[in-house]
Amino acid sequence: MTEATTNRTPTISVRNLRKKFRVSNAAIGGLKTLLLWWKKRSVREFEVLKGLDFDCYPGECVSVIGRNGAGKSTLLAILARVYRQTSGEVKVNGRIAPLLELGAGFHPDLTGMENIIFNGVVLGLSRKQIRERIPQIIEFSELGDSINSPVRSYSSGMLARLGFAVAIHVDADILLVDEVLSVGDYAFEQKCYDRVDRFRKEGGTILMVSHNLQAVERFSDRCVWLKDGQMVMSGLPDDVLAAYLSDQASAQAEETSTPD
Amino acid sequence: MKEELRELWRYRELLFTIVERDLRIRYKNSALGFLWSLIIPIVTTGVLTFVYGYLANNGVSNFSAYVMAAYLPYLFFQQSILDSAQSVLSQVPLIKKIYFPRELLPLGIIIANFIHLLLGWLVFFAFLGFIYIRNPQVNPFQFSTIQLPLLMLISLFLSTGLGLIVSALNTFYEDVKYLTGVAMYLLFFLSPITYTSETVAYSAINQRTNGVLFSLYHLNPIAALSTGYRQALLAPVSITIGNTTHPPIGMKPMYLYIAAAVSVVALIGGYALFNRMKWRFVERP
Repeated sequence: MTEATTNRTPTISVRNLRKKFRVSNAAIGGLKTLLLWWKKRSVREFEVLKGLDFDCYPGECVSVIGRNGAGKSTLLAILARVYRQTSGEVKVNGRIAPLLELGAGFHPDLTGMENIIFNGVVLGLSRKQIRERIPQIIEFSELGDSINSPVRSYSSGMLARLGFAVAIHVDADILLVDEVLSVGDYAFEQKCYDRVDRFRKEGGTILMVSHNLQAVERFSDRCVWLKDGQMVMSGLPDDVLAAYLSDQASAQAEETSTPD
Repeated sequence: MKEELRELWRYRELLFTIVERDLRIRYKNSALGFLWSLIIPIVTTGVLTFVYGYLANNGVSNFSAYVMAAYLPYLFFQQSILDSAQSVLSQVPLIKKIYFPRELLPLGIIIANFIHLLLGWLVFFAFLGFIYIRNPQVNPFQFSTIQLPLLMLISLFLSTGLGLIVSALNTFYEDVKYLTGVAMYLLFFLSPITYTSETVAYSAINQRTNGVLFSLYHLNPIAALSTGYRQALLAPVSITIGNTTHPPIGMKPMYLYIAAAVSVVALIGGYALFNRMKWRFVERP
């Protein structure tokens, strides 16, 4: 953490964050599971996050890296209030726009326009505010006349563009990005990154999860490395990435040398 | 619960949007669109008038109006509960991506159904007007119709409370949906919708039990509400069983008070249960 950021109030503040999931071996909880509750059910508990502490400050872009299953997406989902933490404290100062999966909140039978209104309201705007922004959103998404067709007819690229366009236009203070900026074509990706840069200059906070290490290096001010639900390292992207890569390499070497 | 209600108020804009979305989607791909909401009660009234006027005439004039008065609120109740059951489950992909108070999903659907009930009443009163025009000697409109908003409030509370319970449980145990389907089916026949509560009162079994059955029968809030709606909206009727004609008997207001109490308990209990379970919806196996 640099000196300049320490005096400001954090937009995201996480203390000793823990999240446990309970997984039942029965595929879908039917009434049978309920009726047989007294039978020892095979419920496994596993802890995805094992006590995280970190802060994010206005204007900062923090990226979270780590292998699959390290708890990155769970962390973002807890910040987006999709999951509730098992214990620990999460303080969020400002409005969050999660980009957990573009287009997931769209209803296939409604038109793009109707979905803009619905999503904008979900993200915290009033219907009046969202109506005022519709022209900008349509322009950014480059959807043109397709905006009046049902989104089930959209390609995945179109869905991604619309989703990003809505999220970036709702005046959020914090953007949670889960591996989604690399959709769309090259030109659109550049446009997204430009817009994200502007968002940051205006004091917005970005927390992103990515396996694209080049993007991490290019965009983030700080990098957090998660491994098995714990923070291994936090600091300048160059340092953390170097450590992460050498760890990956040694893990791979170990795997190949292990006899069957 | 106070905190939860405050959160709900903060998201009121979204509630309106969900209602609007539900009303839009329902008839999205149909040519007549929203008109279907009027066509269904109109057709129902027509069929009932034909059936009870010619095929199954029980001596009560305009019996179809008596059926409609109880059937429309029952339809609202049934549709609200059945729609609620799927409301959260069908939106799991959405709630896995974004936060909003989960109760908005069943609430929005129940409000949309409530709007359909209002349209149903529109058709009902138009039908009464039609009856009046055909036979101007008898005015079918009753002064006690002013009780209608209160009755509808009881129905709304009951549907919302049970809807919240069913939507929360069905998210984890999908048998609940089928169970409620069966319950709705039974409730339809066990409530005075296609017959009157007088029929129950003068039934042989009720006479044998000195009226205990009649009292028990009306402890079912849907039965009490069905009779309540009928009494508020229409003139009392005498019914004929065998060769004897029996005078109308009123239902004691007590049964409506019981129904109101049950609906308030259902609403508070249902909301409490929903709030206890709502954070685990996204973690369903």
